[in-house]
Amino acid sequence: MATTPRSGGAAGSGAAQRPNGTSQNKSCQFKLVLLGESAVGKSSLVLRFVKGQFHEYQESTIGAAFLTQTICIEDTVVKFEIWDTAGQERYHSLAPMYYRGAQAAIVVYDIQNQDSFQRAKTWVKELHKQASPNIVIALAGNKADLSNIRVVEFDEAKQYAEENGLLFMETSAKTGMNVNDIFLAIAKKLPKNDGANNQGTSIRPNGNETNRPTNNCCK
Amino acid sequence: MDATASSKFSDVDEYGFKRGDNFDYKAYSKFMDGYLKTLTRRRMKWEAILQQKDFDLSNIDAKLKRYIRKGIPGPYRPDVWMKISGAAAAQQLNPNLYKSLLELEQFNKEISDSISIDLPRTFPDNIYFDTKKDSLYNILIAYAHHNRDVGYCQGLNYIAGLLLIVTNDEEKSFWLLKHIVENIVPQYHSHNMANLLRDLAVFKELVIRRVPAVNRVVENMGLPYAVIATKWFICIFAEVLPVETVLRIWDCVFAEGYKIVFRAALAMFVTHKNAILECTDIAALANLFRDVMIQDSIVTDCHGFINAMFALRLKRSELESLRKLAALNKTTT
Repeated sequence: MATTPRSGGAAGSGAAQRPNGTSQNKSCQFKLVLLGESAVGKSSLVLRFVKGQFHEYQESTIGAAFLTQTICIEDTVVKFEIWDTAGQERYHSLAPMYYRGAQAAIVVYDIQNQDSFQRAKTWVKELHKQASPNIVIALAGNKADLSNIRVVEFDEAKQYAEENGLLFMETSAKTGMNVNDIFLAIAKKLPKNDGANNQGTSIRPNGNETNRPTNNCCK
Repeated sequence: MDATASSKFSDVDEYGFKRGDNFDYKAYSKFMDGYLKTLTRRRMKWEAILQQKDFDLSNIDAKLKRYIRKGIPGPYRPDVWMKISGAAAAQQLNPNLYKSLLELEQFNKEISDSISIDLPRTFPDNIYFDTKKDSLYNILIAYAHHNRDVGYCQGLNYIAGLLLIVTNDEEKSFWLLKHIVENIVPQYHSHNMANLLRDLAVFKELVIRRVPAVNRVVENMGLPYAVIATKWFICIFAEVLPVETVLRIWDCVFAEGYKIVFRAALAMFVTHKNAILECTDIAALANLFRDVMIQDSIVTDCHGFINAMFALRLKRSELESLRKLAALNKTTT
């Protein structure tokens, strides 16, 4: 893949275009929500994507968390506003607040856990029913580093994803496998340069990124 | 590492928690210079009242309330918490409850599995806690079977875990957990979380009333109060604020009840008003709530933070009427 979403913290690779940089860059921002059963690795995927880190024992998310990350595809700067939700069933009542108005969703399951795959299907159904009609949904079969003890077959999930119009990848927050790629694939599928349809169109010129050093992408 | 080298404080606190990479040793050292003296003074005062014959900890008069607000010394916490909360009295009425729950023939597998998944991810950075995981499991599984309406709610692991660290006693932790879940914040942890949703709405209204400019920033940026404060309310600040600050808050919670949770939450907003107002986008705002203000010098100074909590004007009657309004107006948050 030609584009890399993050620079691993290495500052300033010179010519790279920043969101506040040259004007030929289009920029857009998308609201993305992560859904899925408890302990499938939602927060770990976000942590890997946003900070390039992995914790073996990631604390469970109580409520929800909000993070941002910016990537570049071709000449477009894409800023993801990421809503990472709690997986336990009873926190479900809070979920609509996060997927309402979301342009993208990653529904995560654990390839070692059949129940989590069934739960993912339920989330997909709920999104199709309740979320914005144009929402881009990706299905992530996480913990792919443990594929020797998988119970959910790749082909089964892939077929389900195809039948339901979802992007699909197996990912590993632990090794980083396909983590950036799944966000990139989503970014590519999202309509860009269409101000009317995008909730937040352009990033403020001084976009004070205290969260992360802005990634130098578009290399 | 560099930061600790020049500090007299270890990178692990007295409860076994690793201090974060951004821990401000300098500010902490400055705070502790004064606070150690306060701790010694409080310890002597508490010793004196606890030595009094037939001193009744379950009768919280003005003097005892004042003492509790100024902090219960660590070694006395387990017993004092048990008595001031009424947990000890409840235990006396049903002394075999905990044991009998652990002797149940079979535990619900789904509940047992979800507790087991959370054990290794409860306080993974605490150097003592590994040895307490079996006890934590016992407390949570016993409680889940005692209160079927709640079962196991994620977040209870942090409350029970911290209770276990402080009391070092499974059964006391069980009774204190039961007291929190049933008497302090009932229906927060149950399947529909009805009262949590109601109190998030109440809290928002309180912010609107006390620090309207802050609410405008939060609302304009589109950060829901549920993202900011769900964990505060569900965990009563465990695994949110620095441990000593949480314990000082819990001292008051056990004596005075749910109102303290609102005081603490509101104090978070009031003491960080300027920082919130300075945020220019939602990313900065979310980062402030998630990472910065849960470990800065304002909240690390537990004594100062408690003082800030009690400097706020807040009456139970106001909270009750806001709760009624929120119940009528269920669609908000």
